[in-house]
Amino acid sequence: MLRNIKDKFMNYSFGLLLACLTIIAISKFNNFMDNYELIILISSAITFTWMGNVWPNFRKLFIYTFLLSFISIYFYKGSLEEIELNFFLKYFLSSQSAIMWMTALYPLSLLTYWIYLFSKQDFYGNLATKITWIATMMGFVGLLVRWYESYLIGIDVGHIPVSNLYEVFVLFCLITSLLYLHYEEKLAIKKLGAFVLIIITAAVGFILWYTFEKGADEIQPLVPALQSYWMKIHVPANFIGYGAFAMAAMISVAYLLKDKGIIGSYLPELNVLDEMTYKAISIGFIFFTIATILGAVWAAEAWGGYWSWDPKETWALIVWLNYAAWLHLRLIKGLRGTMLAWWSLAGLLITTFAFLGVNLFLSGLHSYGEL
Amino acid sequence: MRFAITMFSLLAIASIIGTVLKQNEPYNNYIIKFGQFWFDIFEKLGMFNVYQAFWFLLILVFLIVSTSLCISRNTPKILKDYKGFQDRIREKSLLSFKHSYQFPVKKFSVKKTISFLKSHNYKVKYKPVEGNGDLIVAKKGDLQKFGYIFTHLAIVIISIGGLLDGNLVFKVQELIGAKQIQLIDQPLSKISLKGRMSEDNLSYRASILLSEGDTKTAAILRAKEGYLVQEIPFSITLKNFNIKHYSTGQPKSFESELLVKDKKTGETINKTISVNKPLTYKGVTIYQAAFEDGGSQLDLLVWDLNSSQPSFKMNSQIFKNNKLTFENQNLTLEFKDFRKFNILEVDENKEKKPKPTNVGPNFLYKVRNESGQAKEYQTYQLPMLIDGKYFFMSGMRNSPQEEFKYLKIPADENLSIEGFMVLKSLLNNPKKVQSAINKGIKTSAFTTSGKKEAFKLGAENIIGAFVGGGYNSVIDAMDLNIPDQASVADKEKAIKTYINIIYLVSQELVRDYQFKNKNDIVFPANDAPRFIQDALTAYSDSFFYGVPLYLELKEFNEVQASGLQLTKSPGQFWVYLGSILLVLGIFCMIYIQEIRLWIFRKKGSNKLIVSLATNRDRIDFDQYAIEFKDKIKKII
Ligand code: HEM
Repeated sequence: MLRNIKDKFMNYSFGLLLACLTIIAISKFNNFMDNYELIILISSAITFTWMGNVWPNFRKLFIYTFLLSFISIYFYKGSLEEIELNFFLKYFLSSQSAIMWMTALYPLSLLTYWIYLFSKQDFYGNLATKITWIATMMGFVGLLVRWYESYLIGIDVGHIPVSNLYEVFVLFCLITSLLYLHYEEKLAIKKLGAFVLIIITAAVGFILWYTFEKGADEIQPLVPALQSYWMKIHVPANFIGYGAFAMAAMISVAYLLKDKGIIGSYLPELNVLDEMTYKAISIGFIFFTIATILGAVWAAEAWGGYWSWDPKETWALIVWLNYAAWLHLRLIKGLRGTMLAWWSLAGLLITTFAFLGVNLFLSGLHSYGEL
Repeated sequence: MRFAITMFSLLAIASIIGTVLKQNEPYNNYIIKFGQFWFDIFEKLGMFNVYQAFWFLLILVFLIVSTSLCISRNTPKILKDYKGFQDRIREKSLLSFKHSYQFPVKKFSVKKTISFLKSHNYKVKYKPVEGNGDLIVAKKGDLQKFGYIFTHLAIVIISIGGLLDGNLVFKVQELIGAKQIQLIDQPLSKISLKGRMSEDNLSYRASILLSEGDTKTAAILRAKEGYLVQEIPFSITLKNFNIKHYSTGQPKSFESELLVKDKKTGETINKTISVNKPLTYKGVTIYQAAFEDGGSQLDLLVWDLNSSQPSFKMNSQIFKNNKLTFENQNLTLEFKDFRKFNILEVDENKEKKPKPTNVGPNFLYKVRNESGQAKEYQTYQLPMLIDGKYFFMSGMRNSPQEEFKYLKIPADENLSIEGFMVLKSLLNNPKKVQSAINKGIKTSAFTTSGKKEAFKLGAENIIGAFVGGGYNSVIDAMDLNIPDQASVADKEKAIKTYINIIYLVSQELVRDYQFKNKNDIVFPANDAPRFIQDALTAYSDSFFYGVPLYLELKEFNEVQASGLQLTKSPGQFWVYLGSILLVLGIFCMIYIQEIRLWIFRKKGSNKLIVSLATNRDRIDFDQYAIEFKDKIKKII
């Protein structure tokens, strides 16, 4: 009972907090926003309130992330030079440092999950989950502060950090780990962290290579085609899709291992793994569908046609067809098991190609992030 | 079902082909790549335009038909399920369900049970059976089945919308010979009816290229290797084209100020469009798609790099050719492009990381000789800061596949090219060179007149070779003079001496010029040695510049052209509608669980049977069934 009241209280105060933040933002920056941006702001506030209420740990993440970001912004004092001068910015809270912390913590949590898998000691499991949460928080802080930094470079340069391959890879890590953390909590399947974190760590590896080899972390102004409010929803929606598909593939790996009797005794039951894969793919499918449609709407506005058979578009369609086939097989035929697990693993290859390969090997109108 | 998967695979494979093989390139590129034999086969298969190929459209049509059939077959069943309840079920089959439970009841209230079920969003039907037995049939999640209709209907609607926006109309007209793709460039007014698509063409994506101040009344439809004229219901005038830049120099927006005039009513609209902000008028949407030069005017100075001739003026325009007789050759200068802004990453300083900077205007031209061979040049108007020094940059290449090789001419004290031009004129003036050598000898340490004479002769030869062909010809000349048995070290020493002589003579020429023209300072006072060395290098490099013809851009009058795209897309509405339906449908299908529930009590029995079933086996459902059964147990 008391718990219930406390929950309700937290829900309301979180909602109130977000409402206040939104109102402050609107009253302060009203002049800089058009109607679409207002709508996006308000609907984001509503979405986050809802998510915070159904998932208290998300609420915690949200609050800490904002707190740290505000502290960081305070330290900046409106000048990029502070990054070198301020101790906390230099080592913790500047966008680049925060993201570097993220890239350090994800591999650490992968390691801890594996220790947990074999030691079967809850201590390690809980530790791994905590590290993943902190890594995710640092990643979000990094992105938010990066957003702020882009405005310090030039008021007209400022933009949401979902505009190039580097930013989008960070987003991918964050969304995939959030999705995983959600299911971990809901279905009590901590052991899958040992698998899901593999793909996140791989993405981290790419981010590091991309940063040190190509200097991709530099903030660049938006080319005219990207200056659209559609970008703000199209890209994140896409990455919920990619993240969910990636997670599904990693769970399928666990499934296949267990099926073959390899480290099987350490893993959840087969039907649980199977169900998880389905859940991940279905959530991915719906977001991917929405993202592709939003992409089409945006293309109609920027390029003069909702569908131009540009390689990125076409590969999005291929990814979509692949998972539609997967869902048909499972839902209609009631097919389960190894075959679908292999299929979802193969799906990751297709998804990765759509995500990265297209930028590497094919040219087209999608101009962000050439390697 | 297997059919659906086949459909998915076919569509996916066809799509992959289109992304791996670059689409809609000029046919020549394909011929070079695949050879004539494969080119012909691929062309027949429509590989160069997969998404408009006959077989691809066939797949789409197949998709529409099969999915429609699927819908029409399943919908009646779904509607029937929606309306009715499965109330003719037998006890035996109820008991055979995975989730079938029996528990004792004393007093069974049908009313209470029904209201309990209703409060859990069940639709309920009560049916007394077999003489006073009770059967309650309940269900929820009907929408899941509707999800099936929504998604599949959506696929049909989207595909039809897509076909509507394809070029099906033209394809048919081409097939029956009513229309024909035009292959030769000619004025639009000359093109016959066969090459024209009328205003009420169902859908199109056409383009228009407009120079500032121009007006056009029709658009161009690209098709395979040629084009068609697309009539439009209005005329478009480009009043102005603007590129805005970020503080960092990169382009921020491309904007066209348009004047659109209705051909019938004469109504006019003034509107500025930009990327992401199109204008829709009379069902046609006008997009900012591209930009290029629209015939800018350039005022040039023509320099001969290898003579003491003075420069002369020349006026030119982009897309126009100038004829010129230069050093006894008849040359054609073809002006190709002018760009006012150029963002380059230049090493301004050794210490700093190169960052993108605007280096100012450049222009592109070809110099074609009498035999028709051409070299391409790209010349920047302003000097660029490279490693702390300013240079005029002009690139030359023999073919578009090559990279430009740059001639780097040092800028003088006034950041102008004049200093270099003065020096090259002096070098090409034998009298001045003579007197410079003599002066050098006077102040030198040579004691005997014989030595002086020998030096003079050597210096004249060296300078002569240099002026006629740069350092290379000095080395060639040296090979003739120095005995074969001379060691490498000796040769290098000799080269150094020669270079030094060239330098000293040039220095003398510069000093003399500066002395006589005290008022116009062109040579850097502090940095003269460096300037002279760079200038000599540039002079020597000019022999690799193709033609020793340097065009200096003095003034320009920029005229820009804007590339517009005109889209008529009646299918768009249907595609969007279908998309909404699709999302809705997938949502219903995946997130709504269909549940059926029966509660049955035989007459007089004190046992209650509760059975739950779903059409899709899921772990969640097992949990739900167990919990819900317990709830029912509690309320009775
Ligand atoms: C390109 C798009 C699609 C095509 C060509 C397609 C085609 C088909 C075909 C041919 C069938 C068999 C119908 C029959 O034989 O009765 C089918 C069944 C089905 N499809 Fe699709 N489908 C598409 C998209 C989807 C999507 C997006 C979903 C949702 C995730 C979906 C869910 C289903 C379901 C649940 C059935 C079985 C219905 C039943 O048997 O009750 N389909 N589809």
